[in-house]
Amino acid sequence: MSPSKTVAPGRLLAQVAGERQTGALVVRGHPGGAVYVLEGRVIYAESPAAPGVGELLTASGRLAGRTWQNALDRGTATARVGRMLVEHGHLTQGELELCVLGATYDAAYFALAPQDAPAEFLGGATHWLGPVVHIDPAAVTREVRRRAKMLDDIFPDPRVDTEVVTPITRPPRERITLTAPQWELLVHADGQRTPADLAFLLGKAGFATIQELRRLAAAGLLDLPGVRDKAPEFVRLPRSRGTAVDAHRPQLRPDNSPTVPVVSGVRPAAPDPPAPTALTEETSANGTVYRPPRLARRKPGAKLPKELAGDAPPHTGTDEVLLKRIRTALRALR
Amino acid sequence: MTPTHSGCDWCPYGRQRMAHGDGHAVEVNPALRSDVPGVDHCLQEAMAIPGAVGASIVDYTTGFPVATTGAAPNDDHEAAAAGTADVVQAANSRSLFVSAIPHDLLEDLIITTAGGYHLLRPVQTDFDSRLVLYVWLDRVLGNLAVARHRMQKLADDLVAT
Repeated sequence: MSPSKTVAPGRLLAQVAGERQTGALVVRGHPGGAVYVLEGRVIYAESPAAPGVGELLTASGRLAGRTWQNALDRGTATARVGRMLVEHGHLTQGELELCVLGATYDAAYFALAPQDAPAEFLGGATHWLGPVVHIDPAAVTREVRRRAKMLDDIFPDPRVDTEVVTPITRPPRERITLTAPQWELLVHADGQRTPADLAFLLGKAGFATIQELRRLAAAGLLDLPGVRDKAPEFVRLPRSRGTAVDAHRPQLRPDNSPTVPVVSGVRPAAPDPPAPTALTEETSANGTVYRPPRLARRKPGAKLPKELAGDAPPHTGTDEVLLKRIRTALRALR
Repeated sequence: MTPTHSGCDWCPYGRQRMAHGDGHAVEVNPALRSDVPGVDHCLQEAMAIPGAVGASIVDYTTGFPVATTGAAPNDDHEAAAAGTADVVQAANSRSLFVSAIPHDLLEDLIITTAGGYHLLRPVQTDFDSRLVLYVWLDRVLGNLAVARHRMQKLADDLVAT
């Protein structure tokens, strides 16, 4: 095991491939990933930005979640998950191979594209999926470089790949044309999901997702982040299998100003167009600044704070007085 | 040996997926993986089509040849794949052919040149992939109808359920 150092991950891959080693090339950083090598040939790759074989198969409905989970439970220890799925007739060999090939090249892009990233090789490590395909590492690195160039040819702004996807609210032209994948992305982009979130949610390859997003950005349909915080954060739940995707909520603003536009009073029909006011304060007609009191949010199920709960005795048992009154009322009805 | 579910104690469906559409069962022997109709087997079969010169499976969003065999135009499978992707994208999303009727679907593309036929057939997988089977046929030796029929079966068998 070589110490983690900042290198070109592609070069390290070529080195371990040349020595016909077996193990995992782990690339850290954002998004990072791992490339698994068996005797110098790439057998699998994974990255937090690219849905793996399991996510692709379950998000699409090709495999039931429990089928996949069962295969994981039984095949992980012996690294035969892929073979088991085929042997038990859940997938054809062709499907498995195509799925693994697609997922491997997809994740390899995210793992190997950075020119400099902390990378290390964990000798002897294997992947639970087992060897399904054997790819020439040179072909992988060549393809990674080609894909990086492809993205830059579409729209040379790598922020699109990591930042939260925000579609513009009004198209820049009278008529726009969308492909089906682009439509799907825009419909699911809620202003909080990152490209990786969308890829996992929709069960689409990570690269194909950012490829479409760059096309959308080139068409002027995405609201590109201006001076937002630089460090891209991949926020996603582990195994978000096509269900809800986590998202970061905007922090409560330090001042007490409202976070939503507050309609305050009827504005007089201004002869001049209203100036685009920044959302700092809204002044009502009489000049007072409206600031709603900030409420402390209580988590569901949490107890009331002590000062609010007071000394009220804890409510125990059934309300006998109420039950007696109901009994009396029911008797009166007879 | 025909595949059964006798050895499958965790299959929630108990469903047999290995029988081909035409009724014959695939030999399944874990020791002989090449018998299983995987990607390489599919390309071998494609090369068995009369007049076939080369074959590949191409990811048409990235223009990448996932698997190749035989010859390629200009001896460059990667360049051919990039061209293949352009053609499929043009037919699929940049032209209106496939949206003429609701729920219409691209079945195959045939490019005829003086020297050969270039056949492209999308491989429909349930999971997300955008793959097309490409076969290059010799113009004299190849038979378009036979090739189309065989390619349809190959593309279906690759992902047969």
